[in-house]
Parts: sequence; C-alpha cells; structure tokens
Amino acid sequence: MTVARPVVRPRLPWWQVGLTVVLAVGGYFAATQIRNELEIREHLRIPSTRLNELAIRLQKQERRRASLEAAVGELRHQVAVLEREAAERQSGVARMNREVSELRALAGFIPLEGSGVVVEMRDSPRPIEPGDDPNKTILHYTDIHAVINDLWAAGAEAIAINGERIITRTGLTCVGTTILCNTKRIAPPYAIVAIGAPARLLAHLQRPAGPAEILRAFGFPLRLQGLERVTVPAYRGTTQFTIVRPAGEGP
Amino acid sequence: MWLPLIGLLLGILIGLLSPVEIPLGYVKYTAIAILAAIDTILGGVRAQLEARFDLTIFLSGFIINAGFAALLAGLGDLLGLDLYLGAVIAFSIRILDNVGFIRRDLLDVYFRRVKRARDVTG
Repeated sequence: MTVARPVVRPRLPWWQVGLTVVLAVGGYFAATQIRNELEIREHLRIPSTRLNELAIRLQKQERRRASLEAAVGELRHQVAVLEREAAERQSGVARMNREVSELRALAGFIPLEGSGVVVEMRDSPRPIEPGDDPNKTILHYTDIHAVINDLWAAGAEAIAINGERIITRTGLTCVGTTILCNTKRIAPPYAIVAIGAPARLLAHLQRPAGPAEILRAFGFPLRLQGLERVTVPAYRGTTQFTIVRPAGEGP
Repeated sequence: MWLPLIGLLLGILIGLLSPVEIPLGYVKYTAIAILAAIDTILGGVRAQLEARFDLTIFLSGFIINAGFAALLAGLGDLLGLDLYLGAVIAFSIRILDNVGFIRRDLLDVYFRRVKRARDVTG
C-alpha cells in the first residue's frame, strides 16, 4: 500500500508509526523483564535462570518434609500407643501385685494377725496305772487334726500350730511319740492359734460332742482363749512343686 | 525519525515504572514478545532499505508471529515440553538473517553512493 502511494507524499509517517508501536511494545516488555530480573537478583541474589533448579530443590525438600512429617505423625502415634500400653501394663502390674499379695496371704507365705483364739492342748497328766494303754494319755495327731478341722469349719482364716503354719499341703502325722507338722517335729503342749471370729470359733469348739468336750472327757487339759489380737507366722517349709502343673497348659 | 525513538523511550519508561510483576512461568512469553519485536523491527528496517515496506505486513507480522509463538509456548506448557525454545530459535535465526540482509543492503547503499560520488568527481 505505501509502496503504491505517490512519491510526493512523505513516506515518514507509516513506517515510523509501525516502528514506534513495535518499539514501544518491545521496549515495554524488555524494560519490564529487566526490572523483574533485577528485582529477583536483588532479593534472591541469584539469576532467575537458576530459579527452576531451586524450584525443583524446593519441591524435593517439601516432599521430603512431608514424608518426614508423616513419619513424625506415625512415630507420635506409636509413642502414644506405647505410653498407653505402658500405663495399662503398670496398672496391670499393680493389680497383679495386689492379687499376688492376696494369694500369698491365702497360701500362707506372709505372717497374718487378727482377732482369734488360742487352743492349748496337753497330754493327760494322769499317771499311767498298770494295765492302762499309754496311748490314752497322750495326744494323737488325730486329736489335733480334729481341733484344726473344727476351727476351719467354724470359719477360721489362718491357723498355726506351735509356730507351724497350716497350709493347703500341710500334713499331720505321727512318728512314734512325736507329731510331725509340715514335716517338722512338734511337741506338747500344742498351741493352736487361729484367726477368725473368736466367739464363733470358741462356740464351735465347745459345742456338745465337739472336740473340746471329747478331749476334756478323756482327761486332756484344754485351754481355750479368745483374743483380740493373735498372730500367725508365715509358712517356712518347701514351696516346690515337682509333679503338678496348671491343667490345660504345656504339652 | 524521532517518533520511533519516542515510542521506544515511552515503552521503556512504562515498563520501568509500571508495577507489573511477570510471574516466573510467563517469562518465556516475555522472551517471545521481545524477540518478536526485535525481529519485526529488523524486518521492517530491511523492508525499508529494500523499499518494499508495508505497514500491514509489518504490524500483522509482529502480532501474528508473536501470537503463534505464544500459542506454541502455551502448547509446550500443556505438553510439558519446552516448545517455546523452537520459537526462540526461529526468531533468533530470522533476526540474524535480517541483520545479514540489512548489512548487505547498507553496504549496497554505501557502495552505490561511493560509486556515484566517484562518477560525479571522475
């Protein structure tokens, strides 16, 4: 179009106008870009061409941080779980300790005290006359056993005889003229200490045709005492099991 | 002759004073705009030297070339490829081509002038 125009018209405006527009646009973009670039360099102290690299590094670090945060969360959760388990275990241990002490009391492994009775039994002081059976003047383990059995039946909670605690495995037997209790030799006078309600224990022992009456009838001196406080020692014998094991466990 | 210079100064001034921040992802578009501008200017100068300047071709070339290069860059962004590099290279080649032609045109003009002067003196 311009080429076709007459030569008389000065060609100045058209190409100069176009050039002006393009230069203005190009100058604008170049200036903006340079200004941005300078700002970036001023703030970050690195050229913008390195920004991609830094962006990738940042992304990597952020991913790493995210995974580490996830790990932290997981570990915190584990800590919480472990703490809860530890607390449960501790309360479990306390409960088991209580249970153990109760069981130890039941099993006779700790000394106990409480209100109770003391039964003192002696051999008969009656002199043996010719023709008399000497067996009738000495106490047999069955006599002692009868008293102990009646005490249990009357609700005694712990019993000892001459300092030997009666436990579930206690056996009374006699060898010659001596009585064995927990395989230890005991000798008269026999002092049976029982913890329980004194009145009930005494009443049961002294019931008609009860052991007290029978022993007295056969001339054995018997002393019954109800006491506010008696002590029963701990079992001192063996605690080993060699044959038994809890049923339903093991091969 | 002052008009283009005023335009350039005006553009630079606006660019320096306006608080426009170019996001990093659009730097490639700026690069294309700048290259398109340089290419268009050099093409215009060449056309002027060869006495075949056309304002329509001049401006439409600037707008269409820059627009297509921007489209290419956008497509490259979508595809995750640096397609704008192709536009940058194409513009660069064209710029260098134009510089070469301008150099020859100018030399032609110069030698013609020298020859004419020689003819006049001789």
